[in-house]
Amino acid sequence: MLSVILIILAGIFFTGIVIRTKSIASGRKGPGLLQPIKDVIRLFKKGSVYSETTSFIFQIAPTIYFSSIIMAMLVVPFGQSKGLISFNGDFIFFAYVLALGKFFSIISALDTGSSFEGMGASREALYSMFAEPAFFILMGSLAILTGFSSFQEIFSALHLGSYVSYAIATLATFVLLMVAMVENSRMPIDDPKTHLELTMVHEVMILDNSGFDLGLILTAGYLKFAIFGALIFNLFVGMVSYQYAIPLFFAIEAFMAVLVGLIESFMARFRMSHNAQFIVALTSVALLIFFGVLLVSGKFL
Amino acid sequence: MFGLDFLLNISSFLTIIAIISIFFIPYRYKAHLAASAVLFNAFATSFLALHVLTGNNLDFLVSAGSFFGNISIHIDDLSAWFILIINFSSITGVFYGAGYLKAYKDSSARLNLHWILFILFQLSMVWVCMLQHGFAFLVAWEVMSLSSMLLVIYDHNNPKTIRAGINYLVQMHISVAFLSVGFIWIYFQTSSFNFQGIETFSNSTNNILLFLIFFVGFGIKAGFIPLHTWLPHAHPAAPSHVSGVMSGVIVKLGIYGIFRVASFLGSDFILLGEIVLTISIITGIYGILNAAVHRDFKRMLAYCTIENIGIIGIGIGLGMIGIGNGSSLLYYLGFGGALLHVLNHSLFKSLLFYSAGSVYQQTHTRDMDKLGGLIKSMPQTALLFLIGAIAIAGIPPFNGFISEFIIYSGLVEGLKSNNLDQISLIVLTLAGISMIGGISILTFTKTFGTIFLGSAREKMHHKPQEVSYLMLIPQYFIIAAMLSVSFVPLFYIKPISKILHGLFSHFEISEPSAFLSYSENLSKISIYSTLFIGIIVLVWTIRLYVVRNKSKKMEPTWGCSYTAPNTRMQYTGKSFSKPLGKIFSFLLIERKQFHEIDNGEIFPVSRKYATFYHDFFETRIIDRITQRIIYAVNYFKFIQNGRMQSYVLYGIVFIIAIFILTFLDIIQ
Repeated sequence: MLSVILIILAGIFFTGIVIRTKSIASGRKGPGLLQPIKDVIRLFKKGSVYSETTSFIFQIAPTIYFSSIIMAMLVVPFGQSKGLISFNGDFIFFAYVLALGKFFSIISALDTGSSFEGMGASREALYSMFAEPAFFILMGSLAILTGFSSFQEIFSALHLGSYVSYAIATLATFVLLMVAMVENSRMPIDDPKTHLELTMVHEVMILDNSGFDLGLILTAGYLKFAIFGALIFNLFVGMVSYQYAIPLFFAIEAFMAVLVGLIESFMARFRMSHNAQFIVALTSVALLIFFGVLLVSGKFL
Repeated sequence: MFGLDFLLNISSFLTIIAIISIFFIPYRYKAHLAASAVLFNAFATSFLALHVLTGNNLDFLVSAGSFFGNISIHIDDLSAWFILIINFSSITGVFYGAGYLKAYKDSSARLNLHWILFILFQLSMVWVCMLQHGFAFLVAWEVMSLSSMLLVIYDHNNPKTIRAGINYLVQMHISVAFLSVGFIWIYFQTSSFNFQGIETFSNSTNNILLFLIFFVGFGIKAGFIPLHTWLPHAHPAAPSHVSGVMSGVIVKLGIYGIFRVASFLGSDFILLGEIVLTISIITGIYGILNAAVHRDFKRMLAYCTIENIGIIGIGIGLGMIGIGNGSSLLYYLGFGGALLHVLNHSLFKSLLFYSAGSVYQQTHTRDMDKLGGLIKSMPQTALLFLIGAIAIAGIPPFNGFISEFIIYSGLVEGLKSNNLDQISLIVLTLAGISMIGGISILTFTKTFGTIFLGSAREKMHHKPQEVSYLMLIPQYFIIAAMLSVSFVPLFYIKPISKILHGLFSHFEISEPSAFLSYSENLSKISIYSTLFIGIIVLVWTIRLYVVRNKSKKMEPTWGCSYTAPNTRMQYTGKSFSKPLGKIFSFLLIERKQFHEIDNGEIFPVSRKYATFYHDFFETRIIDRITQRIIYAVNYFKFIQNGRMQSYVLYGIVFIIAIFILTFLDIIQ
């Protein structure tokens, strides 16, 4: 329960911090931290416009997408306290619940019959497919290291062995951060602030959404970032007691948001054709973690 | 008091009567008669199967003359599981088929043959699961292959269909050749055609070669690469209810064979398990990659079957490694996941084939890039296909996730081993199976989106309509079965653990308590799936409440300031999967057909551009081998020269040779 509340709190500020960082880096003052939430509330109050081509899929998809994020949020633990949902192999459930949301967001983009949205949908499907192996190799390696197979058990047993596990956790942070970038369609993979529909991935998929549905999709995006932030936080915290863990959680989420903002300010988006290679490279980093784990656990003999 | 074998006798007897009387009854009632025969056989054999699953194994002996000796009919839990799956798919198939074939009002002779073959097809599949005598097994196997081949070529006026049929026939006989070699080898070693002979044999001899021979034989049926090449030809050619049953069940009998042979093995489990695991993961990735790029939606489903066979194979490989390691949990998770996935795949694959068949019946095309927007004219079919698509992608809350979750758990469990080779293999498998999941999302969003969403890409000759209830109701039944797997998984897990408990009898496999804790996980998952649906309903209700007074306008799709779009400008399935095809261009061979504009051509005329994807293994390996064989065999053409005189001469030479050889005691 704790993790859910904290993730929602972090989600409220996360995108605001990213935007503020980008403004400051480009020499502007920028909007307030709560501006993204205000945007969403404004959207919730608006009416909506639907495309004549669409069917009920288009109307139901944002709801399912949002619910899948909520469901994934329930799986994430907070340090030693379990998530609301916790069982052996819950990370598989986590990945597949997110996949249901993705499935519906892709078909709702195809429902509009727009060629731009189809293009975005195709890219989204491709990139998230490439990100899957990295996530699973990472979780598999951590399962070898700890001998457990649920998020909470893995994370709480991670640092009981040796300090080498912090090195592994650092690499794992890189992988998770990049998976988060792919999942959220952020900078090196996709530029949310691009102005040309041809070069968008996620933004073009939701071109036709408006009103309440768009609000749901945006909120889901904020929460998704905070969820991955919480996973990264869990990599380091382990059994730390709450009075340190909770401030640490917000510090890590804020740090991650600033990092995302800085990456978006100082990096250009990759060429579309290089994205796939980049994400495959992510898998090889995950394999590196796997070999590291084999070394640490002494199975490399 | 009749024995239970009475049921088998009466089912065979009634089948013969049904087959004869199908010729004499009026045209309209043929399908009814076939359906009642299938129903009766299904109930009779399912009764036996349920009797076995809830109690003890059944054994009957049929005396078959002095040469074959007694043929033993043995129904154990494994056979019972497959018999139930076969019967369910056949029943839905026969009812759907009755509706599907109403569109073909042409010839009564064709329908006679079709329904007779369908009855035989079901019965032979059931008998394949019951016979434990190598020779009789091969006979049933052959009846099954021949009847399904003749079912495939229902549309026999089309040369492509005939080609696909012949391709299927030839490959099935290569499979039979391997199986015969296996059974004959055992016969010579143990002088018994009974399956128990395999056990005697494998306790005394090296297992590896024998298993591989059977694996090739059964693997052709199942569609492991590189033995899969019949599937993408036969499935699109067959009528949809036949492809549904074939893809749902007949390929699973290959899996049944592999299970059966594996259960008799005595040693070398680790090596064989690793071989099966490696082949399976490659099969899975290869199958889904091909499924992603094809435009013909029935061919896409055929490749997707190959992918699912790969997933089932991963389970089998894990289970074998589990035996080798002495880890009963891994054994249960691997084989249990495989068995449940056999059931699940037979459900959602037949659902997908039936709903794809409804689309074909209404539009007369299998090219998804000519379709679009069908969700408006065929809403029920669209919903059925969507549910099948979500389930087959292994996404909760449907049943595909349950079996894939068991296999995933098996992989995570396998990671705990201490053997470096195994860990590396299993981690790569984990990465591979997650990639399969990702690509199947791409494949099925593409297929569903292109066929059912957007607007129609080409004008249809007649407007598609929703199909008849006779075709829809079997599909709703399948969905009910699918939901029962995902919400009451323990109902299915219990028989599976009973099957596995008795399957490998000469291994000490206790019912592990850890497996039961995994099954508790499964019921937790179904609770969470319910919760998930609850959250969706809640959010939806809130949405309805919030937007109830808000304005709602219908406008054209945002065309990025371009004001005159037409429906041909929609993104096609081909372009959707093109980036994937480009990345994997070393496996997905694309051939393009076009004329470039020549140098001197000043007034270019309209021209065509077409691309096709080729099967890597078919064009690069199998075709080349067959070409070499044909080339070599060419040199012996003079023997078959068409002159009756030479053929008579061959006969005389043969008889004289036999005579002389016997006379000289060289052969006896």
